[in-house]
Amino acid sequence: MIRFILADLNRFKAGALAVIVLIALSVALSVTVTLQERAVRLGSARAAEKFDLLVGAAGSETQLALSAVFLQPSPLPLMSGAILAKLSEDPRVEFAAPVGFGDSADGHPVVGTTTRLIAALSPTLAEGTGFMHLGDAVIGSEVARRIGAEIKPMHGAADEGGHTHTEIVYRVTGRMAPTGTAWDRAILVPIRAVWQLHGMTAHEHHDHAGEVAETVAANEHGHDHDHDHDHAPHIDAGAGVDEHFDAETPGIPAVLVKPKTIADAYRLRQEYRGETTLAVFPAEVLTRLYATLGDARSLLLAIAIGTQIIVIAAVLLVTVMHVGARRRQIGALRAFGAPRRAVVAIVWGELFLLFLLGFALGVCIGYAAAQFISATLTATTAIRMPVEFAWQDLSLALWFVVLAVLVSTVPALSTLRLSPAQALRS
Amino acid sequence: MLALDISGLEMRFPGIDTPVLSIPRLHVPAGAQLAITGASGSGKSTLVNAVTGLETTTAGSVSWGGTDIARLSAGKRDAFRAAHIGLVMQDFHLFPGLSAFENVVLPVRLARRLTQIDRERALGLLETTGIARASQAIETLSRGEMQRVAVARALLSNPGVIVADEPTASLDRRTGDEVAELIVRLARQDGATLVVVTHDPVFRERLDRHITLEGGRIVEHSAEAWAA
Ligand SMILES: Nc1ncnc2c1ncn2[C@@H]1O[C@H](COP(=O)(O)OP(=O)(O)O)[C@@H](O)[C@H]1O
Ligand SMILES: [Mg+2]
Repeated sequence: MIRFILADLNRFKAGALAVIVLIALSVALSVTVTLQERAVRLGSARAAEKFDLLVGAAGSETQLALSAVFLQPSPLPLMSGAILAKLSEDPRVEFAAPVGFGDSADGHPVVGTTTRLIAALSPTLAEGTGFMHLGDAVIGSEVARRIGAEIKPMHGAADEGGHTHTEIVYRVTGRMAPTGTAWDRAILVPIRAVWQLHGMTAHEHHDHAGEVAETVAANEHGHDHDHDHDHAPHIDAGAGVDEHFDAETPGIPAVLVKPKTIADAYRLRQEYRGETTLAVFPAEVLTRLYATLGDARSLLLAIAIGTQIIVIAAVLLVTVMHVGARRRQIGALRAFGAPRRAVVAIVWGELFLLFLLGFALGVCIGYAAAQFISATLTATTAIRMPVEFAWQDLSLALWFVVLAVLVSTVPALSTLRLSPAQALRS
Repeated sequence: MLALDISGLEMRFPGIDTPVLSIPRLHVPAGAQLAITGASGSGKSTLVNAVTGLETTTAGSVSWGGTDIARLSAGKRDAFRAAHIGLVMQDFHLFPGLSAFENVVLPVRLARRLTQIDRERALGLLETTGIARASQAIETLSRGEMQRVAVARALLSNPGVIVADEPTASLDRRTGDEVAELIVRLARQDGATLVVVTHDPVFRERLDRHITLEGGRIVEHSAEAWAA
């Protein structure tokens, strides 16, 4: 039987191949959409895992979360440094780390922070040590620099027409273990170095108090460089790192807070949601974004399933015509003594085999495509996006198989209507 | 071997007023050999289809060794034919992509598991019919060889009846004679009842009785063919 089916398919090689490819492509589309959506969702959820609570100046929640979790450059308003000091002292807080973005080096974001955040991201460093001096830098696992290498920070990003800061050259002292997050592409430096670089000393902060809307990031014009340079012609890279913050602390775009308990997390979020500050759970913001992502997925999946139905209809048409053209062969099989069930099984089996091969090929193509897309995304964002099958995919596959069984039955049963003599005469 | 008894057989097709075939009575004894002749369109194939159960009859009975196949369901008729009737057609109806041997055993293999006995008998038949290599791909055989493979296939399950519809019509004279000789010889050897549609007078002479059809009726029969 199998031998006969294969010999038969071999005769209609081109047609069989076309049917397989058609089915494979339509299946691949659904597989890619499903896997990719899951990869993005899982990948970004894992990237957000280490960021329990973010506190920033009042503004957009989404922007605050995306900037801190994915290090997306965006003009965030500055929040008074006094809040960092207050959070650091709060008994419900395990640690509060400032996150100061805005500079870059060779396309890598340079982020000002503290050793606590580095410890939270990478409990043990892959190489080297954390920073002890203002001019030290710890790099993410994806940053292609050696320990001891020099890093010249640039204000903003190169493609935004930023300029290079000449006041300091960082020296790489350590490298974090891979975290699978956007922070793998980051260069972490002491927050105080960033402040000084931008002429924001404790005293100056007083002058700027209330003038919150200024952004460390891309607001070139809001930044008086001559003024900066006058006040900070050179930064002492050898000075020790001071991670104690008080009311005089300069402004910062965001503070990452690690609350001690879940209840504390909710209480803190409640407290820091006010006129001037904003507190968000990044995971919650992402969930809201996924809802949109999920809608997009539903739409894409509907399109994919639509194409699948069209393809199956086309395949059905082809096979009905094919069976029509093979009436003689089918009639002959019965005339020479093959039982009807065998004839039905052959027609059904051939079609089902094509469906199955197309499906298998489609799953492979879809998986490969999702892997490729994920790899491309990871290369640009450093966020690891796991392409993996889940149990619920099995029900989709099962549906396809059931559909394939039913669809292939139609032409198979149509062969029964013919008398062998009729079939032979055609 | 089975005897054929036809009575009151009528075959009609939709859209045609007169019956395409009308045979009040025909008897072929078990092991006898009947030739059917007649002009094209005279109803020969229709008769073959009726006696082999390939087509449902309109009226009457067609009984082989006491089994009236006109009263069987389509599935039962298929089963009866598979068990008792070996068929040879004008166009051989062999399946490309398979070897000579695979073609011979295909109908049996599709119905049940192939036994060692089936296998040996298939190889023996291919040898008898003069096919040197059983594993040769069917599409590489000559037309004469193809029809011999078809004969071997018809004989595999040792049928009591062999029915051939113009088996030599698409072959050249010499090849046709060889195939005709082979069919008659093997049928006689197995003691199978033989029914052959043929235009070939030489082939007809090899068989012990004959009938001639015209417009679906028997218009002439040899002394041995008991028909009325
Ligand atoms: N299924 C059918 N529908 C209508 N007419 C048919 C059908 N089968 C056969 N006929 C007609 O019956 C007559 C006898 O056909 P057939 O038995 O094939 O003749 P032949 O003696 O050449 O084998 C022809 O006129 C043919 O057109
Ligand atoms: Mg005919």
